[in-house]
Order: sequence, then structure tokens, then C-alpha cells
Amino acid sequence: MDQRPDATLHQLNEPNDRNDMNHRLPTLLLLTGALSAHAQDDCSSAYPVTAGFYTITAVNGPGVPYPICAPNGSGATAGEWFSYTPTADHSLTVSTDLPMNTGLDTRFHVYNGTCGALNCVSGDDDSGSGLLSIATFNVDMGVTYFIAFDNRWSSAGFTFQLSEGNPIVNAVNFTPTSIPATGTVSCVVDMNGDHLDDVVGVTSTNININFQQQGGGFSTMNFPTAQATNTPSWSIAAGDIDNNGYNDLLYAGVGGVTFMRANADGSAYLTENRTDYIFCQRSNFVDINNDGHLDAFVCHDVAPNCYYLNDGSNALTFHQGGFGTTGGNYGSIWIDYDNDHQIDMFIAKCGGDPVNQLYHNNGDGTYTLVSPNMNMADNVQTWSSAWGDFDNDGDMDVLVGASSLGNGGHKLMRNDGTTFTNVSPGSGFDLFNGTSIEWITRDFNNDGYLDVLGGGKLMINNGDMTFTMSNITPTNGPTGDLNNDGFVDILNGSTAYMNTPNGNHYLTVDLEGTVSNRNGIGARVMVSSPLGNQIRDIRSGDGFRYMSSLNAHFGLGEDGTADVTVYWPSGIVNTVTNVAADEVITVVENTSTDVATHTPARELHLFPVPATDLVYITGPTDLTGRPVRVLDLTGREVMRADLKGDGLSVGGLASGTYMVQVVYPNGRTLQKRFIKN
Amino acid sequence: MFCTSGNGAARKAVLYLVDCMAGTRRAQRILALVAVAGGLFLGCRKEPPMPEEAPAGQAVHVDLDAMPYPTLSEYRFFVGDLSERLPNTGVLPYAPITPLFSDYASKERFVWMPSGGKAQYISDDQVLQFPEGTVLIKDFWYEQVQPNNDRRILETRLMFRRNGVWVFADYVWNNEQSEAFLDLNGSYVPLDHLDDGGTVRHVDYRIPSLAECHTCHKSDNVPIPIGPKPQNLDMTVTYADGPMDQLSRWVAEGYLEAGYPANIQHVIAWDDATQDLQLRVRSYLDANCAHCHNEHGHCEYRPMRFAFSMTADIANIGVCVAPEEVVDPGWTHIVEAGDTARSVLYHRINSTNEAYRMPLMGRTVIHREAVAMIGEWINGLTPPCTN
Repeated sequence: MDQRPDATLHQLNEPNDRNDMNHRLPTLLLLTGALSAHAQDDCSSAYPVTAGFYTITAVNGPGVPYPICAPNGSGATAGEWFSYTPTADHSLTVSTDLPMNTGLDTRFHVYNGTCGALNCVSGDDDSGSGLLSIATFNVDMGVTYFIAFDNRWSSAGFTFQLSEGNPIVNAVNFTPTSIPATGTVSCVVDMNGDHLDDVVGVTSTNININFQQQGGGFSTMNFPTAQATNTPSWSIAAGDIDNNGYNDLLYAGVGGVTFMRANADGSAYLTENRTDYIFCQRSNFVDINNDGHLDAFVCHDVAPNCYYLNDGSNALTFHQGGFGTTGGNYGSIWIDYDNDHQIDMFIAKCGGDPVNQLYHNNGDGTYTLVSPNMNMADNVQTWSSAWGDFDNDGDMDVLVGASSLGNGGHKLMRNDGTTFTNVSPGSGFDLFNGTSIEWITRDFNNDGYLDVLGGGKLMINNGDMTFTMSNITPTNGPTGDLNNDGFVDILNGSTAYMNTPNGNHYLTVDLEGTVSNRNGIGARVMVSSPLGNQIRDIRSGDGFRYMSSLNAHFGLGEDGTADVTVYWPSGIVNTVTNVAADEVITVVENTSTDVATHTPARELHLFPVPATDLVYITGPTDLTGRPVRVLDLTGREVMRADLKGDGLSVGGLASGTYMVQVVYPNGRTLQKRFIKN
Repeated sequence: MFCTSGNGAARKAVLYLVDCMAGTRRAQRILALVAVAGGLFLGCRKEPPMPEEAPAGQAVHVDLDAMPYPTLSEYRFFVGDLSERLPNTGVLPYAPITPLFSDYASKERFVWMPSGGKAQYISDDQVLQFPEGTVLIKDFWYEQVQPNNDRRILETRLMFRRNGVWVFADYVWNNEQSEAFLDLNGSYVPLDHLDDGGTVRHVDYRIPSLAECHTCHKSDNVPIPIGPKPQNLDMTVTYADGPMDQLSRWVAEGYLEAGYPANIQHVIAWDDATQDLQLRVRSYLDANCAHCHNEHGHCEYRPMRFAFSMTADIANIGVCVAPEEVVDPGWTHIVEAGDTARSVLYHRINSTNEAYRMPLMGRTVIHREAVAMIGEWINGLTPPCTN
């Protein structure tokens, strides 16, 4: 390894208190005269560091950090590498957000593992002031971490600081995992009927699908298509137009719509270019006239909204009108706001005619504008809205998220049956100035209350119609369960941010319509457990641009069982009682009996329960050699080991309840609770 | 030279201005007007013989109640071979100082007003107040279209003022180039053409639908023209009879009420490299972005205000202004001073991805010369943004 004095290091012992640090900095800088050069040009020559300050004179080492853990993708051509091995469990803050770096532009990645097989732990680009970087993350005693800076934006030198602190508790933790997706990757949905969410990327001549595998991981296939004259540059939606078990796609472009229809065995897609001019915005598949055949709806930016009605022979006929007379239609979302089990529709509007619209489904194929009567005719400039029962009182509330604050900020509207009430003041949204075109709601921490993602933040639902702002690395993207662990993951381009399980229970309900459309789009799913009743409406297309999973995901908190009721668009109601938590069940629309197919085990089995010395662990695949973590009920790690055979020695643990987690290489985590005698 | 028609009272078109394919040649183009055989010749145009006079009885035919007509020829805006688009009496060519970029298509513009009608000056940066019956005419074509290397006219757009309201019409030319037909449904015309450097360029040229016309040509949802503002017209044009101020020519033609301010705050030719870079950028942004990004336009709810009269304050261009819509988290400001890679504006104008390209209509290929200019401007901005 050459010893070019490209990066000069100096370490200074310094308290962790950043304020204190800032005061002392001028003195410290005077001490930098005695510097020594170190090679840290790549992972293998990473320079060991501890808490303190270090100066890099230029980012010019040949070891380009990979994988990319920080935001903002590829483009770096050089790196500078450091290693850090904590002597205790604590948090580590890596920061270039220092006064002497003003005006500079930095980025770093943090890994564990070994050179050549690194895993992302953290990373940051711009969380500091200006374009500087800062991230705080937990580190485990004795584990070696690699901190690698790159020149994604600038090769100029800078100073960075490492400081240690108490372990942090994030509301939700995500781990980035790369998926070999290509094209415009804005769709996470099951494409082949196995109820596992897949990743779909498209170009005008190709559909790239990463099929999620039963045992975890993905299998990549490309389906060449005839030229699509419209690409999903404005939105994409998925639905099964002909109920053949393979989802079809709708590409909503700047000048119109192209449908991609899956053939009978899902081995090819037929291109159906439509010539009707639509400046498309949000698009959805939904059975608009409730005739059992899936239709398509497309927001029009500069003219009245459009839709394609399915005549039952799967031909789609263009219609325009009936949903407003003006443009400025950005975010349509189909929900049942009045619990009459007829799907209704809300449009987030923007531009010169920004008054939002709520349409009530009359049940006869017609819709009536009710937003003025329902206190929903607000003129906030919005491109999408997040509909969910935030207070679990049995009806759909909504967060109308601002895209621009010019006509006022976000509106949190509580459904009070006969009207909606603005409960924004004091909710956390009143003080939130982040804007975005994407607003969605999911239960990201599986506590049984729907959270909101938008405006660059995750708003954690406190359960009382107030929300707590939380920083997360991923931005809005399509969501689904990409490692089938019962926690909602977020896709940003070809990077899947896998949501780390936190011990809360979950239930995922997949639907299979037989009278209604195959996916059960438009169905209401209710899950009842001790924490209350939770509802989801199955919808193809929420937020603005992306298509997210059609599976209904419910966090259950501490609850171990739940009852499930499905209200199908057909009017059929199926109920399944006493379903064990932490499972995926498939409810098939059935006119005679209530049937739930329990998906084959994708879970861990532990025995004996309770355990004394050994716990035997089996899973869907051989677990030998897999790393295992044992957490206590507060989420604290009490033990880790690599499985030898299938037995885990737990004799050293105190009596109590614990969680076992097995981590797969793709980031998928399976977990199960056990009791230690 | 100032040509008049035989009766001495009627107006006659005397200048012929064309936007050529390459913006960099614009300045020379304006100055390239030369008299040819009683008409005008212009560098970019292939020998348009100017008729001595419109044939008797063949005056422009504007019957507002019957418009738009099914075909372009019915208006008699042009005389002789329609494809030559030689303006009839009273059909006055005009040109903006800095034009909208339209996928490297060539364009020319004409204005016609009924007898006695005159436009009124409102302000430097507002469209002239046109009289009832005014017709604005704009042709779009490509030169050196492959494989035969010939000219292909694609469309002629009209806006006419009826009952105080601007009405859109668009005429799509047939392959024979003998007629253009009313069509407001929108369509694509894929073609290859040679650029100035001899490179074959492909374009899926978009002929707009009515809704697309209205998207850009509106103020508070009311249809309006965009180009004919004093700030865009206030330039000296070298006519066949010598240099003349364009607005003065409109007055001389009887198309503009005299008495407007002498000192108009005008844009400059964006491609005039002798001019101040920031002024060139501001002029370009006005012509290409301000029709939507103004207080009454399609994107009025975004913070950018690209009108030339607003951009002396470069915060209105988005310098160090964080984007409300995050296209890419690495693009930290609308314009990141000194750094194109982090500037939303730069990425948007340098992209053909229809999800975030700007302008979002009327452009499907990258305006390379303009991107280079704006990139140079951004990279030269100091100090760095600190917010």
C-alpha cells in the first residue's frame, strides 16, 4: 500500500458533548501541526479510529465505497476508509457538520462485515447544515465498523468527528438492501399470485420483475414488451383486469395511458396503447360501477378526469366526465368513507383549481360530489392524501398533505360520521413544514396505529390523533413486505429499505376474490384484537406516483390473536376468527363458508416451550450457520450466536420472555418469541 | 424599403422572420433579412419569393362566427403556394427577442388585425391588449428532414380573439404539404432531421391537443397569448429598408397604438454570447418557463417566478431555495450555487424523463446549448448556499 500523504489524520481526545467540542475547536486546530500520514485508501487499509477529530486532505483513494448506504446513489469515484471497534455498546455519531467545513460537501457510508462482503449499517449525505453529513447509530461492543467517505459530490478534504453516546432508540429502523431492479422502479406488488410482494421496474419495451421467493430473496425475470407509447412517468397502477391470477399494469404518462396485460400463465405481457389524450397524474384500478369487473381511473391535470370501464369481456372503454369538470386533478384515492361498503373517492387537487373533491358512490354507477357538505372542500395545494383510521374508531380519517404551503398546511381531518373535523391543531401536523407530493399511511412500527410517511419525515401515530416526527433514511416510495417478515418495507429505486422487526406482532391478510375482482380491490378488511378494530380498504394506487402492495398489513402490538372480517365489493362478508398473529393468511371470497388459507410456514418454530437449556429452531430453510439474535421484551439484544445445528443454548439467560431473530443475507428477518424457565 | 400595397392604405407584410433550428444562430438570423425580388430573403429560409401584391378579392378571410374553419387555406392568410406561407396583405410577421424552445423546430409568427383595430400597451411584461378579431398565427416546421433532406411543415397554430376571449385552433399539415386541417386532438409525428452540425436527430414531435394549448396559454384559467409582450418585441430588426424598431413597425402598420414608454425593460437574445450571462439566463427562463411559473400560471403554487421582470432577485429563480417536491434527495436546491449536480433546475432542463423534465410540455429533447449556458451560470454562482 502506498503511503501517499493524501489524507492526513490527527486524532484529538475530546469530550462527546458537541457544544463543548465547538467551543474548544479553535484550540484543537492549533494542535494539528504534528500530523502523520496514513493509508486509508480502501477497506483493507482502513485506518483504525476512536472518538475524536480527523482531517482528510482529499478524497482520492481508489476504494470506492460499496454498497452505497447513504442517500443519493452512485457517482463516486474515490473513497477514504476508517475502521472503528467500540469497547462497549453505545451510539456513535459520525459528523462532518463542523464549523470549519462550512461550504463543503461530504458523504459517508458505515458498514459491518468484512472487506468485500460489507453490510450497510448507516450513512448520510446531507443531514448536516448545508451539504454536510451527520448520522447517529448504535454500535455493538467488539464489532468492527468501517466508515467510508466518498467523493459523490466533491473530492475536497474536510474534518470529521466521531463521538460516542448512549444507545438510541429509533421509532423504526431500516436497513438498505440492493435489489437488481432495472427501469423505472415504482411498483411493489404481487405479480404472480403467490401473495409475496414483487418489485417491478419498467421501460417502454421491458418489464423487469424481481419475484420474491418463498425462502427469501428474489428471482429476476425480464419480459420484453411491444413499445409502450406511454410510460409510467406520472404514475403506475396494478390490477387483474381479466382475473387470470396475474396482475396487469397501467402506465400513466404525460400524454395518455398504456395497459400491459399479462397473458394466461404470466409469461408475457401484451401492450395496449391508448390514444386518448390525458395528462395523467394518479391512476388507479378499481371497480367504479361495481359490476365485478375491474376498471381503471386516471386523474387529468388539465381537463376533467378520465376512466376506462371494463365491459366484462375485458375490453376497456374510454370515458371522460362525471368526476369534476376541471383540471388540477392530482391524487385520486378510493376509500369507503361512510362505511356503506361502496367504494368512494377523494381527489387531492392542486394548481389553479385546488379545491379538493370527495365523491360519494351512489351504488348505481354514479357518484355525487359531497366535499362541501363533508367539510372536505379545502383548497390546500396537494397532490395526494393518506386515508386511514388513525384512531381505530371504525371509520376512515385522512391526512391531506400539502405539496406547497401557499394555501395553508397539512390538514388532519377526523371522520365524525356526518362530517370531517379539522383536528390538525396540536396533532403534530400543524407544526410540520415538510412538503411533498407523496403522502401515505402504513403501520410501520406494528403498534396497531397507522403512521404517515410524507414531507421527508415519518410521523409516528401516538394513538390519540397526535403524531411524533421521526427521521428516517428512505424517502417516499412504493411499500410492501419485501422480506415477508410482517414489517412494511420501503423501496427507493433499486434499494429496498428493510424495516427491522421490533417485537410487535402483525397479521397480513391477502385476498382472493371469486365474485369480486381477483385482488379484492375495494374490499374493506377489519381486524379485531384486544387493542381495538383496525380497518383497511384494498386500493390500487395511493400516494401520488407509486403502486404499493395490495396485501392488507396490520400491526398488532402485543396482541397474539385476532379476528378478521372481509367485506367484499360483491357484498359478501367472510369472517375468520381466532387467527394467530405473525402470520399471512389468504381469505378467499366465498358465498357459503368462511375460509382462510393459512400460508405454508414462513415462520420460525421453537421448542420446547418453555425452554430450559436448549431451544431448537427450525425455519423454512436450513438455518445452520445463520446468525441469531436474542432480544428481551424491551428490544435490547441479550445474546447473539451463529446457529450450530438447530439448537441454541439459552441456559445463561434469566427467566422470562424473549424474542429470537434469525437474519437472512438478503435482510429478511424471521422472529419468534419463547419463554425461558 | 417600406412596401405598401397598391391602394396605399392597406397594410402589407414587409418582413419575414424565422426561428431557425439552432438557437446559436439567432442573432445572425435576425440580421440576415435581405430584400429579394420585392420581398425579403432570410438566411434560414429557402428563397421565398414575395408576391408583389395580393390578388384582388383574395383578402384575408376572417369571419369570427364561422371560425375555426376546417382548413388553413380558407383564412387566406397566405397567398400562392400555401406551403411557402407567403403572408397576405395585413398579415404581419413578427419575432420575439428570445423564443420558446420547441424541440429545435423552426417557427415563424404573424399577426393580423381587422381594419381599425390596434393593440394597446399595458406594461413591458404583459401581453399587448389586442382588439377583437385579432389572429395570431404560428407555423412549426423542420428543415432537412430525412430521408429526403426536405422541409416538413407540421402545424400552424392560431389564437383568435372573439367576444373578448382567445380561442385556440390548430392546423395539422398533410404529407403533401398542400393543406393543413383543423385538429385539436393532439398527435405525435416521429421524424429525423439533420441539425446544423450534420448530425441526425430524432424527435417525436408533439402536436398539442386543446387541453395542452390551454395548459401553457392561460392566466387564472383564462386563455391568453404568451409571446407578444413589449419586453419581447422591443428590438431593432434589420428590414430590407434598413434597421427599424419592431414596435415602431407595428405602429407604422397600424397595429399598435403609439405613445407607449420609450424605455422598455426588454429581454435580450439568450444566445448572444457578448451579453451578460445572467441576463441571458433570465431571458431564456422568461421565454421557456415563465408562462407556467408565474402568479397566474399552471404552476403558480410553486415558489419560482421566472418572469424577466421578477428575476433580478435570483431567489425567484430558486437560487438556494429548497425544493417543495423532492425529485431526488441529492438535488438540494432549485439552484445550488456553484453546483449543477445538486440543482433541481439543471436536472429538469437536462432531462427528457417526462416525470420531471421542464418545460413539461413543448419539449421532448434537450436544448443542449441552453443547458450549457445555464450550467455555466449555475457553476459560476457564489457564495455556496448555506441553508
